[in-house]
Amino acid sequence: MKMKPLLAMLALPLAISSAYAEDGSSFPAITVSGFGTAALTRSNSDDAEFVRPNQVAGVKKEARPGVDSNFGIQATAKFNDWLSVTGQGLVRKNVQDAYIGEMAWAFVKAKVSDNVSLRAGRIGLPVYMISDFRNVGYANTMMRPPVEMYSQVPLESIDGADVVYQTSFGDTSVTAQLAVGSTSEKNQAGYTVDAKKMTSINLVAENGPFTFRFGRTDTKITVEDSVKLNTVLGGLRAYSANPRLEAAFGLKAAANSIEVRDTKASFTSVGLGVDWKNFVVQAEYGKRATDSLSIADTSSWYTMFGYRIGKFLPYFNHGSAKQDSVRAIAGLPASGFPTAPTLALLSAGANSLISQAAIQTSNSVGLRWDFYKSAALKLQIDRISPENGPGTFVHATPTFKGPVTVFAAGIDFVF
Amino acid sequence: MKKLTQAILLAATLVTSAIPALAEVVIVVNPKNAATHMTAEQASQFFLGKSAMFTPVDQAESSAIRAEFYKKVADKEPSQVKAIWSKLVFTGKGSLPKEFGSSADVKKAIAADPNAIGYIEKSAVDATVKVIATLP
Repeated sequence: MKMKPLLAMLALPLAISSAYAEDGSSFPAITVSGFGTAALTRSNSDDAEFVRPNQVAGVKKEARPGVDSNFGIQATAKFNDWLSVTGQGLVRKNVQDAYIGEMAWAFVKAKVSDNVSLRAGRIGLPVYMISDFRNVGYANTMMRPPVEMYSQVPLESIDGADVVYQTSFGDTSVTAQLAVGSTSEKNQAGYTVDAKKMTSINLVAENGPFTFRFGRTDTKITVEDSVKLNTVLGGLRAYSANPRLEAAFGLKAAANSIEVRDTKASFTSVGLGVDWKNFVVQAEYGKRATDSLSIADTSSWYTMFGYRIGKFLPYFNHGSAKQDSVRAIAGLPASGFPTAPTLALLSAGANSLISQAAIQTSNSVGLRWDFYKSAALKLQIDRISPENGPGTFVHATPTFKGPVTVFAAGIDFVF
Repeated sequence: MKKLTQAILLAATLVTSAIPALAEVVIVVNPKNAATHMTAEQASQFFLGKSAMFTPVDQAESSAIRAEFYKKVADKEPSQVKAIWSKLVFTGKGSLPKEFGSSADVKKAIAADPNAIGYIEKSAVDATVKVIATLP
């Protein structure tokens, strides 16, 4: 699905309009809209790179646009009152260190009634409260979704179908969404995550200034082409053929506990949004749970407070992520043996695989200024404290230590 | 650069100047619509994309009546309304209400669609539309 950026943008409206050019009699109504963020980001450390979840390269002391800048364009062709086709192309830096165009989503939508609509194709995966519009800076208060929370599940879309049911009870409007399908996404570390038999439930209740949200996603995950995982698994299983080693260290069980093959995984989260008079609050709490130690169980949350003063919206956010599952497999030997010279290395490899989850807290202050219609200027400073490892940072040197301060300035726009 | 300067100047003006007080704004529907009365809160659901039961019809983006309407019906600035719609538009969950340049055009659109809901100055009301709420 990867396309050259320019091609992606040009192809999108064309693909949709040409599909109906033959019809001749009645063209569908096509609307094209877009969004983007032009931003510069830097940190105060050259020992690790600050990234958004799943980006392969980020920023150090030198200010660069790659972390927080993006550009998206969306076209919708409406054929009649109930049938439409929507495609969205997005250009950003993600799993490659280059601006790459991708088909964020493309779906056919059928409005079955005033309350029910069905969509089929590639749709946004509603894992989080702001999943669907996390890339639309203008629709968000903060510069970026808090990295602690939004690195828990890097999957962004699902190939399948969903049903959205919308209703009201008095002044409370309720939206229920159920999505089913599968997805396969390349990870920044080079391997592929296959998520099959995926179901995602998203319940949102809105009453005046309050928004309550519950989300639950279940899937079976398989990690393909992870050199590190395959090497450790192969090594442990080879040694487990030796009855004495197997009896002493339980190597088979250790290997099974880190394997990621049709592994049950879930993400459960709750969210709260408040937009009352001048007060703005956004908060989420989420828990990741899987049957493999390689995809650690984690908990994360953030809370943002903002106060609107005319066109200015200063805000503060605190984010936190921690690992709930073990970071060392009990029983694996820390030193080698003459008969198993690489076992200690394999133990270390296994323990490093199961301690990859970011343990981190951060405090951020920022300001959104709606300086012009359809455009907002944002400034944000984050103070990020990773623990027991590099946290959400990548390419860390062995001596890397937090806390790190990250500065970002950008302009969000929609058209 | 000149454009940016203009934009900043304009923004500064917008920040300092309050929205001028206008005539009363009324919410109107097609005479065939069964609804007879609606609270501001209920009406805001259609204009903020929370309900698709009625089809909202909007005034021009830079018009004073639009700013006043959203302030009164939902206590929101035009930029907040735009941010709310951005969420719906870019998730494919909704599309922006159609915009019309004047209250006369809004009335025409409502007269043509039994499901439409819009807002106009009270003084512009005539037999082609039915008033279901008056905003103070």
